[in-house]
Amino acid sequence: MSTSVVRGVGLTPEILDRLREIVGAEHVLTTDGDVEPFSRDATPLFRARPDAVVLPATTAEVADVLRLATETGTPVVPRGGGSNLAAGTVAERGGIVLVLTRMTVVQEVSADELLAVVQAGVTTSTLADAASARGLLYPPDPGSRTVSTVGGNVATCAGGLRGLKYGVTRNYVLGLEVVLPTGEVIRTGGRLWKDVAGYDLTRLLTGSEGTLGVITEVTVGLLPMPETSRTGIAYFDSLADAGRAVTAIIAGGTLPATLEFLDRACIGAVEDFAHLGLDRDAGALLLFGDDGSPRDVVESLDRMAAACTANGARGIELATDVAGSEDLLAARRCSLPALSRLAPVTMLEDVTVPRPQIARMVDDIEEIARRHDVVCATFGHAGDGNLHPTIVFDADDHDARRRAEAAFDEVFGRAIALGGTITGEHGVGAAKLPWLAQRLGADQLALLRRVKAAFDPAGILNPGKLGS
Amino acid sequence: MTASQDRAPVDVSLGLFDQDLLAACISCGFCLPACPTYQLTLDERSSPRGRITLMRAVDSGRLPADDPTVLEQSSYCLGCRACEPVCPAGVQYGALLEQWRDLTWSGARTPPVAAALRAGMRMTPALAAAGRVRGAARTTGRARGDGVQLMLGCVERSLFPGVSQAVTRLLPGIEVPSGQGCCGALHAHSGGSTEGHHLAERLGEALPGTILTTAGGCAAHLVNVLGRDRVHELSEHLVDVWSASEAPALTDVRVGGRRARVALQDSCHLRNGLGTSAQPRDLVARVADYVELPSAGACCGGAGTYSLLRPDDAAAVVAPKLDEVESLDLDYLVVVNPVCQRQLVTALRRRGSRVRVVHLAELLALALPT
Repeated sequence: MSTSVVRGVGLTPEILDRLREIVGAEHVLTTDGDVEPFSRDATPLFRARPDAVVLPATTAEVADVLRLATETGTPVVPRGGGSNLAAGTVAERGGIVLVLTRMTVVQEVSADELLAVVQAGVTTSTLADAASARGLLYPPDPGSRTVSTVGGNVATCAGGLRGLKYGVTRNYVLGLEVVLPTGEVIRTGGRLWKDVAGYDLTRLLTGSEGTLGVITEVTVGLLPMPETSRTGIAYFDSLADAGRAVTAIIAGGTLPATLEFLDRACIGAVEDFAHLGLDRDAGALLLFGDDGSPRDVVESLDRMAAACTANGARGIELATDVAGSEDLLAARRCSLPALSRLAPVTMLEDVTVPRPQIARMVDDIEEIARRHDVVCATFGHAGDGNLHPTIVFDADDHDARRRAEAAFDEVFGRAIALGGTITGEHGVGAAKLPWLAQRLGADQLALLRRVKAAFDPAGILNPGKLGS
Repeated sequence: MTASQDRAPVDVSLGLFDQDLLAACISCGFCLPACPTYQLTLDERSSPRGRITLMRAVDSGRLPADDPTVLEQSSYCLGCRACEPVCPAGVQYGALLEQWRDLTWSGARTPPVAAALRAGMRMTPALAAAGRVRGAARTTGRARGDGVQLMLGCVERSLFPGVSQAVTRLLPGIEVPSGQGCCGALHAHSGGSTEGHHLAERLGEALPGTILTTAGGCAAHLVNVLGRDRVHELSEHLVDVWSASEAPALTDVRVGGRRARVALQDSCHLRNGLGTSAQPRDLVARVADYVELPSAGACCGGAGTYSLLRPDDAAAVVAPKLDEVESLDLDYLVVVNPVCQRQLVTALRRRGSRVRVVHLAELLALALPT
């Protein structure tokens, strides 16, 4: 069976009628104007018109929609907050965009069991706030946390600023309610940290990018809220210097909650938006922070500041309170959109390398950008080797766009050569699919296809992406 | 209908929107949580990002300007600009909305209420007469120079004449030039941006000095057209002049033998357009116990002509705010814009609330020694 033949060629009136019966007529959108806002996500240069947008309210409705889709061979692309950066939610083969933002119930936050159960459409911030209200921490904090949904976070295994110390979304997903493309509702995992009954489908589905099943409910593990947290900034002459400081910090035995860096262009763009008084003259900025008991946090920040100084920091500033720290982190989360102030098209990538290779990768990115004559700014999660080189250009500058694509092609190759990967946290989607074989090799790619076929025999879920 | 794949969409602009403004949005979605209509619907179509996607489709001719969704979403938007301060990319949504409404509310598509108001507010002599009848501050003759000159507004003069009266008590001797009309904000926000621009310029000629306005919405529009130097919103002005020279000795505003508990409803365009939010709070706290309304910065649903055009939606927007107001045990709710005043007076009265809605000028005038 081939999954590549599935292509939405317009939905018949019968299919549309059945969709309306399932979710209610007002939750099936088909007109040009109504579907246009769902024709793209946060990825530049990708857009496709879905045949219909369907907004279910319950798991049962999702199951009915998927059963119908499998029966009729209709593509279905699940979508949460639409903040995907790899065109993972763009309906390139038409069909149905299945939007889960109506499923917004926080079902449970248990301080006794240190877990929460939420519907897929709950935003990451809402989950974090609900946990925080009970004195608990949901650590994954992708930059898009106020917009992105927990379902979308699981589907892409979203990362964030706390990856080094706390890991990423996969480290907190205990259980899932998932609707299979054929309509069965299954529950993987559950409320247990220890559970080895069967293949770990929870982890397989985490990061599956809406190609294996539609996640409708998520059970996440939580941690006790650290007593306090604090953040500081160190300025360097170059990003590579900051990279060396990162290596020194971790080699010194500190595992900080936050280690983020921005190059000069990013500092300027973030400062234009946030007005924090950042030093625009510095070549790079390292945002470092930790959480824990007040004494531990002070010690940890002192150690990190000392490591920065020893590695050529030209200035260090410590936030004086938690609010100041939050301002710094909030500004960092805005790096990407703030960079769009430089030019209309902002192509962002997501390569990740082993931590000791950061300084080298950063140097290589700068060299590649110079050679291809592109404007490139880089920021990223230094602590986990996850870099976001961002190339900006004008929409109608086709030559710049071609040069950007050529530069990124080299950047991907370089990352893989250094033992890294083409995407750390944004996903493969449609945007990075051309490089997936280079990363995984033919045998693994073939296995992905067999896994996909086992879940989705008709090939209806997010066709043309992972596993197709 | 076939599925179209557009991996490399090179939109050719029809030039309906300012291209730089339109290009600034990268669809990150950071605006979604700030948007009142998205929060009510959780529907991408009713979000700033979704609306800009619609504008782009119109600009490139993929959607006609009279597409039903385009018309509905340009109308459903409150125009509160809460998406602007949270936008890291610096998208000027308010300016884009004006251009959008110029397209969607033109000619026969103009909502009749908006057309009527636009026509009414054009008639300066009628505004002046209404102001006189209702007892707004008396004019002091033609503008004399380039000092600070009080603008009477169009809506406020008739609906809340006590506001300009109060300003003349707070700032004795303030010049109130005659011959002033509407500032055109109402036009700019409802499909007549060219006329809105002209009216602002004409008002700038009638008031050639620094224009002092009691309406946040008018202030933001006038700043757009005439520049920041020419415009002082009342709270900005009072904080400035009362720190530079002698402030009047203000007493406490008291209710039932204790200091009054007072909250503020921000004016959206004052807060989101001009970035002014500290001054009105500062002034309230000088004469009363200031209580922060959790939703102070969120739109009340008045939104220019919105509450007249879409009363049901305006009611849905204001409903959670009314619950907050009632739960805070307030004596007064202070506003800095006449449209907010009308919306909140009406909504709280309908609810049988005992909280009184007053303009900042009126509250401060209560604190003047008698």
